Amino acid sequence: MRLICINCPKGCELEVSVDGDKVTVTGQGCPRGETYGRAEATNPTRMVTGLVKVAGSRRPLPVKTRTAIPKRLISDVTNLLANTTVIPPKRIGDVILSDVCGTGVDVVATADF
Amino acid sequence: MQNDVIVIGAGVVGCLTARELSRYSLRTLVVEAGGDVAEGASKANSAIVHAGFDAKPGTNKAKFNVLGNQMFENTCKELKVPFKRNGSLVLAFSADERKSLEDLKERAGVNGVPVEIIEQEELRKREPNVSPEAVAALWAPTGGICCPYQLAFRAAENAAANGVTFAFDAQVVKIEKTEDGWRLSCADGRTFAATCVINCAGIHSDELNNLVSATKYNIQARRGEYLMLDRDEEKSFSATMFQVPSKMGKGILVSPTVDGTVIVGPTAEDIPDKEDKATTYEGLEKVKAGARRTWPELPLNKVITEFSGLRAHETTVSDFILGEPPDAPGFFNAVGVESPGLTSAPALGEYLSGLVVEKLNGMRKDGRRVERKAATEISHDVSEWPVTREMSKKDLAELIKKEPSFGRVICRCEEITEGEIRAAIRARVGARTLDGIKRRTRSGMGRCQGGFCTPRLIEILGEELGLPPEAFLASRKKAPAALRALDAEKAAHAGDIWDVTVIGAGPAGLAAACAAKEAGAQNVLVLERDDAAGGILQQCIHNGFGLHRFKEELTGPEYAKRYIEMAEKLSIPTRCGTMVVEFAKDADGKLITVTTMSRREGLQEIKTKAVVLAMGCRERPRGALMTPGTRPAGVYTAGTVQRLVNMEGIMPGKRVVILGSGDIGLIMARRLTFQGAKVLACIEIMKKSSGLMRNVVQCLQDFDIPLLLSHTVTDVEGTEHVTGVKVSKVDDNLKPILGTEIHYDCDTLLLSCGLIPENELTKAAGIEIDPKTRGPKVDAAMATSMPGVFAGGNVVRVYDLVDWVSRDSEIAGRSAAKYALDLH
Repeated sequence: MRLICINCPKGCELEVSVDGDKVTVTGQGCPRGETYGRAEATNPTRMVTGLVKVAGSRRPLPVKTRTAIPKRLISDVTNLLANTTVIPPKRIGDVILSDVCGTGVDVVATADF
Repeated sequence: MQNDVIVIGAGVVGCLTARELSRYSLRTLVVEAGGDVAEGASKANSAIVHAGFDAKPGTNKAKFNVLGNQMFENTCKELKVPFKRNGSLVLAFSADERKSLEDLKERAGVNGVPVEIIEQEELRKREPNVSPEAVAALWAPTGGICCPYQLAFRAAENAAANGVTFAFDAQVVKIEKTEDGWRLSCADGRTFAATCVINCAGIHSDELNNLVSATKYNIQARRGEYLMLDRDEEKSFSATMFQVPSKMGKGILVSPTVDGTVIVGPTAEDIPDKEDKATTYEGLEKVKAGARRTWPELPLNKVITEFSGLRAHETTVSDFILGEPPDAPGFFNAVGVESPGLTSAPALGEYLSGLVVEKLNGMRKDGRRVERKAATEISHDVSEWPVTREMSKKDLAELIKKEPSFGRVICRCEEITEGEIRAAIRARVGARTLDGIKRRTRSGMGRCQGGFCTPRLIEILGEELGLPPEAFLASRKKAPAALRALDAEKAAHAGDIWDVTVIGAGPAGLAAACAAKEAGAQNVLVLERDDAAGGILQQCIHNGFGLHRFKEELTGPEYAKRYIEMAEKLSIPTRCGTMVVEFAKDADGKLITVTTMSRREGLQEIKTKAVVLAMGCRERPRGALMTPGTRPAGVYTAGTVQRLVNMEGIMPGKRVVILGSGDIGLIMARRLTFQGAKVLACIEIMKKSSGLMRNVVQCLQDFDIPLLLSHTVTDVEGTEHVTGVKVSKVDDNLKPILGTEIHYDCDTLLLSCGLIPENELTKAAGIEIDPKTRGPKVDAAMATSMPGVFAGGNVVRVYDLVDWVSRDSEIAGRSAAKYALDLH
């Protein structure tokens, strides 16, 4: 499997081979590439950044998952965010949704409102 | 910055004193603990210009009352403040009191105040509503009424027009003698320095005197409660109706006001707390009972409001304490200025300013006198605005035609228009609170007491001052914190020469400013055209920033916040909503003058030793791409849509084609997908994406959005709004190949076709531009071709990583600091 690492702007081209339980990653420029390669082959994950509505305001509040979540759950999370309204004030880092979609990861505010 | 004079207290005495000082070539600053002019006794008193018959002969009170009364008419005329010599009557209700009138008459003679005693018949003829119990009265034709806070406002405006600066929310807590005079430290950490200080701090003036002198004074807060009656009662009395005075004061009066209302009060009660301006049940009962002696028919159903004010009663001397304590040269007191303080204010202003000018003359070693400005140099401007209620119909019609906001009534009770309210906010020492508007315009002072106008007033305040309306509901008398910080910064730096001025508060500008300060530049200023700092990062809500700079992955607003906090920690002021319109070297080739424009400050010139350009870049628009087709709505650059979606909460379309594969376009493909739109394709004319591979992977591939390389949009369709686009393959020369068209039904076309450094200012300043980067030519120190001007970030060349923007801008900041520190 040929992949491009998304960890940093360098975008290393990785070669990932899976042989049963054994995953081999080559082509990475740093250890983060290997972790990424393995994850992509077994359980690919992504950070999700998004917007939630703010009661009484047209302006939305930007949010993010605190860490990466399984890629297959991205649309579940973005759909949930689209239906979430928060009440201000919110501070950067405030938890907006805890354990989003059963991922064990919190969605937090990335700006003050 | 060393001032010649600091006046502590922006009450009526402080403002009139500052105005007198503004007629001299002096640098004068007024430091006020409250949030506005006239926040102490000046805003809550009887508004009476006393004739001066009752002050004890030989006292300062007697002297300045009589002098002030004589000056009042002219002062009010000059300042365009309402004043009326309606005369005053002191009522006697018994033979004993009749005798007191004789005593008062005798005292009036000593004080040089014309009075006469009138008998019951004459009294009732003049004032039909007066109690039949009143047997006689002392008539003082020189008594008058005025608006005390208008007097303070206009005096402040006129002082400001003549160069006096004001610092509000600056409560002086420490005063130290220095080699050059005095240094004042405020509760919030600000310090101000001056050769001379005038203490006009009203109820707190004793505390300030006691900080500098061994002669201690003690001010007792003496509270007075009042009732205010509706304008329906305007004709109830024509003169100010006193009763024979007692030891505690002049007793309960009933008086018309210049605004047409009727004021009733005050009580006199010594209280321990110098801030306690509450009204009390007992107090108001006393007011009612006292007023009924004069006016038995007092119509309580016409009461529109109650309030109380505090008199600054000095207990050791019981007089105005004026001038320099022997052990504090250059520090001048106006301690214990209670009634007749308002009447005396014009005379006190003249006297105190005179003392200070004389002192400064004595201190000057070069023998040069403090110059009085030539008559032609003195501005008579008091920032007055048309008061529609007082205009003729013809004039009003003309005015509304010219300025429609004077036709929109905001306060229906007092008929105050939007135009008047905006003018009050825009004045030099303008309103920043609901109370500030109320006292400047009377909006909210009428019979509904702000019931109808408050929602509109906060909206106008928000618009004028660039804040959300609800910010003005937190306090009626303190401006929102953001505004206070801004004003504090401006007051602290008025007239300063800045070491480094940074144009732009994005990641480049903030990094440069922080680096400059850390490299030793003392005064660093950031100017930002947008309403908030952070630059374009505020709309870049995706992650991927800061991996190098902070060793962690942040979103745009998070990255921006780090730098905003850093700048705050370093006490670097950022002036938002401020556009730089030009900058140029001064004739001497040393300082640079930066001209700024803003809603609040108008056009301003800032002097600085060095400049860092950090204006960022802009997107290449459709016109510059020469994409054929119609010109409908629905064609946007990627950054425009990013702002609409991420910051304004507006989704511009549902089916989107993206032309160009720049990073913002790729990021927006994912964002629009997340927000529920269908992104049909990303079209790139070149053979490879111009954005980062990681973005191609996580923004297109993750969502199966096709990336069409070597393709371009060859037609845009739709007359009102985009209905579709044609996309064609291009050959090696980037020419579209006939017959390869693909059609997309879409309602939005997003353009992500490159960024261009924004260098209009740079070019106008005559700085050399690199034709390749389209940014200024810079050396390794990020110095441009103009000495003292440096540049950092996307204004120099377009970066793909904000981390490097910050890094290179820090170099620019450090170089600018070094330049400024070396400049002599």
